[in-house]
Amino acid sequence: MFQDLVTANLAAKGTMVGGLKRKHSDLEEEEEVEKWDWGPAGLRSYQQALLRISLDKVQRSLGPRAPSLRRHVLIHNTLQQLQAALCLAPAPTLPPEPLFLGEEDFSLSATIGSILRELETSMDETEPPQNPVAPPGPQNEVLPQPDPVFLEALSSRYLGDSGLDDFFLDIDTSAVEKEPALAPPEPPHNLFCAPGSWEWNELDHIMEIILGS
Amino acid sequence: MIPGIGTLTQDTLWCFSQVKGTIEIGVTEADIISTVEFNHTGELLATGDKGGRVVIFQREQESKNQVHRRGEYNVYSTFQSHEPEFDYLKSLEIEEKINKIRWLPQQNAAYFLLSTNDKTVKLWKVSERDKRPEGYNLKDEEGRLRDPATITTLRVPVLRPMDLMVEATPRRVFANAHTYHINSISVNSDYETYMSADDLRINLWNFEITNQSFNIVDIKPANMEELTEVITAAEFHPHHCNSFVYSSSKGTIRLCDMRASALCDRHSKFFEEPEDPSNRSFFSEIISSISDVKFSHSGRYIMTRDYLTVKVWDLNMENRPIETYQVHDYLRSKLCSLYENDCIFDKFECVWNGSDSVIMTGSYNNFFRMFDRNTKRDVTLEASRENSKPRAILKPRKVCVGGKRRKDEISVDSLDFSKKILHTAWHPSENIIAVAATNNLYIFQDKVN
Repeated sequence: MFQDLVTANLAAKGTMVGGLKRKHSDLEEEEEVEKWDWGPAGLRSYQQALLRISLDKVQRSLGPRAPSLRRHVLIHNTLQQLQAALCLAPAPTLPPEPLFLGEEDFSLSATIGSILRELETSMDETEPPQNPVAPPGPQNEVLPQPDPVFLEALSSRYLGDSGLDDFFLDIDTSAVEKEPALAPPEPPHNLFCAPGSWEWNELDHIMEIILGS
Repeated sequence: MIPGIGTLTQDTLWCFSQVKGTIEIGVTEADIISTVEFNHTGELLATGDKGGRVVIFQREQESKNQVHRRGEYNVYSTFQSHEPEFDYLKSLEIEEKINKIRWLPQQNAAYFLLSTNDKTVKLWKVSERDKRPEGYNLKDEEGRLRDPATITTLRVPVLRPMDLMVEATPRRVFANAHTYHINSISVNSDYETYMSADDLRINLWNFEITNQSFNIVDIKPANMEELTEVITAAEFHPHHCNSFVYSSSKGTIRLCDMRASALCDRHSKFFEEPEDPSNRSFFSEIISSISDVKFSHSGRYIMTRDYLTVKVWDLNMENRPIETYQVHDYLRSKLCSLYENDCIFDKFECVWNGSDSVIMTGSYNNFFRMFDRNTKRDVTLEASRENSKPRAILKPRKVCVGGKRRKDEISVDSLDFSKKILHTAWHPSENIIAVAATNNLYIFQDKVN
């Protein structure tokens, strides 16, 4: 597993690393740890790698069997710690009450809550705010309209369909299309980022995980 | 100190006694043992597996001819307790895996046990039949009904001996009371009630009533997004039928008194150890999650198992445990790997011996650990086929954490994390232990001198 962290560490040092594919490798030798760079950049990469691992776990917890609530809660709490440690913007207030799907909706709403938070905050990461903006409140919620769509898409997958192809097609991009090119878009509202940037790679990887490819 | 009741002095040597299960390389998932439990006398030993089956072993009467070999456990009854189900409303599979078995104290010739999967608890009656009635008037020998017109005489059916048959019948099914996954069941000392605990709720049942239960603990938040803690285990006090404890994923234990209120949302006692700031990491919470909680037989102490330690708490001291034992502290530097491969979520159980002087829990590489609370000695043993010669003495094992590895030691990186001892059981009064290693059940006894 340290292969993953070593890869992340190399990326942090500016070494080109092709697609950061997750590997389920056996435990590595202890020597790998000693090569690890524990400076600020290395620590950040470590945290980002943990973030990726955690997101992957959240995604994998959806399946034909009801996910283990204990495992889900522990991963979710760890994700929140990672968020805080990566000094990301405070997590926006929770998305509006999701569609009622019965008692098992917890896994969907919480899963989506965490995925959405990570999507938003990871894009927020290195953008210096040009205009001081208040932290997004419920009224500025980034994806209030697509939220039910996310839920439906994920729930259809959850229920066994493979409807995830439509996952991003239904996103309301009207807000983005109206953004003037000059003014830097408020990070939480912008679903697009410059190709080749760190955010692009991060988003690309996260989407890979979500789409299960 | 009563001889024979477990103490882990340097004179205690553990020997291999028996192993049950196949030695095939590929393990059928259904055969993986998921729970092990002795009954109150130790005469019976029950296992549950992932395939929903229960196998009960019975100890044979000790033979006068073989005084050096204590009674062996042989299969007494096997039955399918739970079947896989499908919840059509939520499109979810319900596993048939037996999460827990708990015996009821024996009150007549039959044996009773509770077995549970994620959703449903069942009460099973296991009884022997060694006679059968013969000579019915209205039925012939094959059980077919006779035409009453052909019957000219009447006779009284007589009981004739037959080969011993052990029957298991489901006497009660306690269903539809748990939305989340049941992790614990516990029989109350009144022998009339029991509790079942899932991730967020604990229900109290009467054995006679299957269509309703009382909810005694509910930690579900109004908004599920605010959920940060779940119930991980629960147990009734062994003597006080009003008291029980439940543990959480945040490393806390609550003692509740059912006399205080119907819904035990307010605990009587709250046990939590302050976090050691020098050991803080992203995994601190995960490794503090308690996987098992057990009252001592005396009822004075509780023992908890988290990922790296076993702790003993005095019921009268809430702010810290009175004893902490390191199970496999060498894993502390490997937590990231163990998080990635999910091992960090493994739920190990822990058990007391009959006199509460020794505690035992499992680890990886088919190792299990015993800690003597009086002498503070501990030992690591291994459940493996290599040490499976009859009455072979188990050699203590040692994990090398760094530096030069001695000849008999195993290095941390060579440990097999797929071989985990999650479930163990200790005979209520003798030094006999049952250790579940994936699909094999090992029985060890101390050496009888």
